[in-house]
Amino acid sequence: MPTPTLTQSIVITLIQCLLVVIFVFVVVPLTVFAERKVLGHLQQRLGSTRVASGHIGVTGWMNRGMWKWGKIPVLSYWRGIPGLVGDVLKLILKEDVIPAKADKFVFFLAPSISMVAAIVVFAAISFVPGTFFTFPTWFPYLGGLPVSGGISDINVGLLWILGVATVGVYGIVLAGWSSNSKYPLLGGLRSAAQMVSYEVPLTLSLLAPVVLSASLNFSEMSSRMAVGMPAWALIPQVIGFLLYLTCGFAETNRLPFDMPEAENELVAGFHTEYSGMKFGLFYLAEYINMTVVSALASAFFLGGPWLLPFGLQGLLNPYLPGFLSWFAAPHAIFFVAKIVFLLFTYIWVRGTIPRYRYDQIMAVGWKYLIPLALVNLLLAAVIRCFVV
Amino acid sequence: MFKNEEMEINLGPQHPSTHGVLRVKLRLDGETVTHCRPMIGYLHRGVEKICENQSFFQGQVWTDRMDYCSAVANNLGWAEANEKLLGITVPRRAQYIRTLLNEFNRIASHLIWLGTHAMDIGALTVFLYAFREREDVLDINEAFCGSRLTTTAFRIGGLREDLPPGFEKMVRKFLAKFSDCLEEYEALLTENRIWKKRTIGVARLSAEDAIALGVTGPMLRAAGVAYDIRKAFPYAAYAEMDFEIPTRTEADTYARYQVRMAEMRQSARIIQQCMDGMPEGPVMAKLPKILRSEVNEVYHATESPKGEIGYYLVGEKGSLNPYRFHVRAPGFINLQSLPKMAEGGLIADVVAAIGSLDIVLGEIDR
Repeated sequence: MPTPTLTQSIVITLIQCLLVVIFVFVVVPLTVFAERKVLGHLQQRLGSTRVASGHIGVTGWMNRGMWKWGKIPVLSYWRGIPGLVGDVLKLILKEDVIPAKADKFVFFLAPSISMVAAIVVFAAISFVPGTFFTFPTWFPYLGGLPVSGGISDINVGLLWILGVATVGVYGIVLAGWSSNSKYPLLGGLRSAAQMVSYEVPLTLSLLAPVVLSASLNFSEMSSRMAVGMPAWALIPQVIGFLLYLTCGFAETNRLPFDMPEAENELVAGFHTEYSGMKFGLFYLAEYINMTVVSALASAFFLGGPWLLPFGLQGLLNPYLPGFLSWFAAPHAIFFVAKIVFLLFTYIWVRGTIPRYRYDQIMAVGWKYLIPLALVNLLLAAVIRCFVV
Repeated sequence: MFKNEEMEINLGPQHPSTHGVLRVKLRLDGETVTHCRPMIGYLHRGVEKICENQSFFQGQVWTDRMDYCSAVANNLGWAEANEKLLGITVPRRAQYIRTLLNEFNRIASHLIWLGTHAMDIGALTVFLYAFREREDVLDINEAFCGSRLTTTAFRIGGLREDLPPGFEKMVRKFLAKFSDCLEEYEALLTENRIWKKRTIGVARLSAEDAIALGVTGPMLRAAGVAYDIRKAFPYAAYAEMDFEIPTRTEADTYARYQVRMAEMRQSARIIQQCMDGMPEGPVMAKLPKILRSEVNEVYHATESPKGEIGYYLVGEKGSLNPYRFHVRAPGFINLQSLPKMAEGGLIADVVAAIGSLDIVLGEIDR
């Protein structure tokens, strides 16, 4: 395998960045779409599960004749897509109002901080260990060069992820403060307190995989947790997984922890004064954060890119016919599938339970989650010492 | 070194959870509410004054537009108050139909309350489920009086029309599924730990305070006072109905939730009895061509879904329209208790308290 020159590796990294950005900008609208549809089905909403452009375009074609079996539309997944398109168009086209007394520079800065902090995390996330694909030899300039499964699989990956993700709270706090308005201020303050509090159990629950895998490198952690543990890491680390998921909900400001933007108390919380694409950036950041949290949970607790738990992978491998052999190897598709499942969980929870009160959230965080996270860490240490 | 300042904040008049145009002036110490004053009047139309300038028949359309979530209950109070004033006896069948529609209205109103209250606390799904069933009630309204929200359901002296064909089938169909629907909402809320945490012990209003402030309806019954005008001073056909007054003693938001849920069950029971025991006969009393008042003044109170709605009518003997008209609006009087419930709590509790009041600003501002 040829070694890439410096320029070549820069080009490859840029390609990887592009792929990640594409991934993000495909997953986020799809999550929004899925949210509309799943909530639509959970809540029996009439619009988001039915509305379709019945006459024009691909969706119209899919909704008519061609895809119907008898009278039942076989492919009705596209129903509701006009709602999504309308949402996106609205975000892009709407007037961007800046309050007269706002701190304009910070008002501009805040959504970018949120967005950048959310997306930069992906630098250290490796979708699949090792090589993702190799350029074919005929490919100009990059022929024969491998592209790894993550942009930068640094050896302090987890530290990078946690560090950068924490910066995201600045976006929210600054947004709340710079709007020069009372509801955003309350929202910003709440979120500062909440996110700082939940950062602690979140990090503690991720320390357990660190202890178990004796590494901070993302792909190493992910593969050790997936291959070395029974049922991925779900059995020894089930507390950790649930803890992490709970804290993840809090970190991404989703129900039942959507304090900073508690619609019915604080109007829209920190982004009350935001409109147009600046609001869109917060919106995007929230969904990217959800993807990040799901990616970490999937990598450390659900076996990441490996398909089968319980060491079944090894048993299955010899029997797989050649064209199915990619089933056996870790593959980015499985990783993404697990992310998608966790994203579904987010929507599911949103459709099911009410919101905690602010002081109750703090109580849950400090009184229950942090002690539980410490116990879980101890458990991981015991497993590390005596079992693994 | 650091100055401790309270922040004054306006909850409303444009706010997702003030149920219309209520404005609540809050003073906050951090998240704690130290001072709370509801500000009303954004929807004032002068309903009472308008009714004074119209004939007895015409006033009813305005009662629709007071508490637009329970228009039928308002219509009933208005019609009965006027019947008292004008000295009219209503046929028995009309009384039954009135009772039936009134109880449907109670269900519809409580469903709106349930949906919006749950949404205020963050349970989105219940909102859409409740509105799904409310839609059926509105269909029943529509079948009876051609209109869904502002019903103008009754006439002074009885009803304009008898029940339409197919009405009984609609009612029976609704009754058959409604208890399952209630269980569906309760499955999402009653034992939900977050729901309990958000409502138990929140916005307490003791029976003494409630009586002192004139609070009526489910709010009062959740404090343990079994006062329901349907039982205390029966009107329409309630004297012949067999139902219970659900009460709780906890006097908090959760107790109000339980009371209202139980009331919906009782309403379904009353509807069942009305439908089963529906007498035959005319639905309209014989009225003179021109209505002239027989007595000088009348106060008639009925149990609206929100509490005691009283119509105070003064009519000089022989006049064509009420000389003076005043509405004792339950929402208006219940709203007085908001500072008592909200002060000392958190800002999220204010929202829960407003939700548990079940107010409609059309009625408060009139």
